[in-house]
Amino acid sequence: MSGAVVTFDNVSKHYGSLKAVEGLSLELRAGETVALLGPNGAGKSTSLDMLLALRKPTSGKIRMFGKDPYHAVKNGLVGAMLQSGGLMPEVTVRELVTLVTGLHPKPEPVATTLRRAGIDKIADQRVDRLSGGQTQRVRFALAIVGKCDLIVLDEPTTAMDVETRRLFWASMKEEVASGKTLLFATHYLEEADQAADRIMVINRGRLLADGTPAEIKERAGAKRLSFRLEKVNEPFLLGLPGLVNLDVRGNVVHIQSSDSDATLYAVLDAGYRPTEIEVSSLGLEQAFLAITAEDDRANVGSAAASSNAKEMA
Amino acid sequence: MNDGTLLLARAEISRLRRNRRYLLMTLALPIILYLVIGAQVTTVVDGLPFAAYYMIGMAAFGSFSGALMNNSVRIAQERKEGWIRQLRLTPLPARGYVVAKLLASMAISIPSVVIVLLLGHFVGHVHMAASAWILVAIVVWLGALTFAALAVAIGYRFQPDQVQPLATLIYFIFIVLGGVFFPLGSTLEKIGKFTPTYEAVTISISLAKSQPVDGLMIVGLVIWLAVFVSLAALSVRATAEAV
Repeated sequence: MSGAVVTFDNVSKHYGSLKAVEGLSLELRAGETVALLGPNGAGKSTSLDMLLALRKPTSGKIRMFGKDPYHAVKNGLVGAMLQSGGLMPEVTVRELVTLVTGLHPKPEPVATTLRRAGIDKIADQRVDRLSGGQTQRVRFALAIVGKCDLIVLDEPTTAMDVETRRLFWASMKEEVASGKTLLFATHYLEEADQAADRIMVINRGRLLADGTPAEIKERAGAKRLSFRLEKVNEPFLLGLPGLVNLDVRGNVVHIQSSDSDATLYAVLDAGYRPTEIEVSSLGLEQAFLAITAEDDRANVGSAAASSNAKEMA
Repeated sequence: MNDGTLLLARAEISRLRRNRRYLLMTLALPIILYLVIGAQVTTVVDGLPFAAYYMIGMAAFGSFSGALMNNSVRIAQERKEGWIRQLRLTPLPARGYVVAKLLASMAISIPSVVIVLLLGHFVGHVHMAASAWILVAIVVWLGALTFAALAVAIGYRFQPDQVQPLATLIYFIFIVLGGVFFPLGSTLEKIGKFTPTYEAVTISISLAKSQPVDGLMIVGLVIWLAVFVSLAALSVRATAEAV
């Protein structure tokens, strides 16, 4: 337990029959930058809401620095930026940042926060008259004012243009460099790949994969192997080692493989001599799609199986 | 009291001081109405010179409207826009937001009550015992707490676009039936007797006339406060998961 910044122990959140989060267990260690990656409706926001004491789990236990979420938040241990978080209108940016600074036990000086969030030049503007990107930066400022050891961001770059997004991650890296733990939810795969050193893929409320970006790609069958082969023998190809997905178009074979070397050697060992061999890496996007698609297929399969079972009974 | 709550209350006050609409409703309107109507009419109503009656009415009007109209709309908006949610992510205690709103609302209604009473004294030539001035000010001021509680109950329960007409309707009924602008006829008064506005105004009138205060009026006002506070607590709790 010691050293764990955040733990989820078999956490579920049900709304009636809807299982928004189902048996989620995970552990964040100090200094990690972790991306919570999943499609819309996967349970990312619900999980973060529970971590931040905005919602109560139906079952299971969440701990932040060994405390329950409510007391961790009220002790100022976490700075957060949510999609649904708003700002106080009718005050200036500086007034707002000063207010929230005052709410934290050991805050960053106001000037430092303004500079780090890149809002020192708009500090005297009224909060309700900012552009979308500026608003997003002010919300980011509110997440870092507390100088907290854990920062939680829910889809932080949603309303940002490319340039603002770049600036955002630059200042985020500054935060992480000082030893903070960062947890962010995103459905931008590129962002997860570039910013995170650990990715958790969740789909339909469950944790599907947990590892470095490289591991995630590998787990999904992260190499694409293609070649031309006369007289294709599909049953043989389907039995190849490492094969995740097979797609045959005429004489051209496309294979998604978790171990492209082994797959190719097996083809050669069987006496085939394919031509035009190409091996390429899958991006994280395909890896992510492969993992969630596999999960969705399994789910449809089990649902069908259970309805069959009902019919038979 | 938690420091964060006081800090937020202070920020709320400085926001309100800049809000023209708010100042117009709670400060300018009662003052203008008093100068234009209250200080000019010279009849006697309910055994009081109209200038005194209207002074009590306008002090109550300013302080109650600020407490109900402003707070209910603000709370609904800030809930919708996520400011309440954002505050929940800070070390501010769970009740801090509501407490700060009530504190700020009570603090900022002081000038409106004080100014209307001063106008009553200097412009309307109202005469009362020194203790009566203070007690009237306190009753009219504390009566606003009832409406602030109602504002929390409404603001946490309804959407911003529903809150405005709903609060206006409730407020209009209370103001008219409570005899805040003019004394009621006998039929309406039978119904109006049970409104918190009527109770606050009647208690103040008794004080102004140096007569004993009807204990039932005080009990009535306290019951309204208890009911609205309970409704507010229910509304806040109902949204605790979804704010």
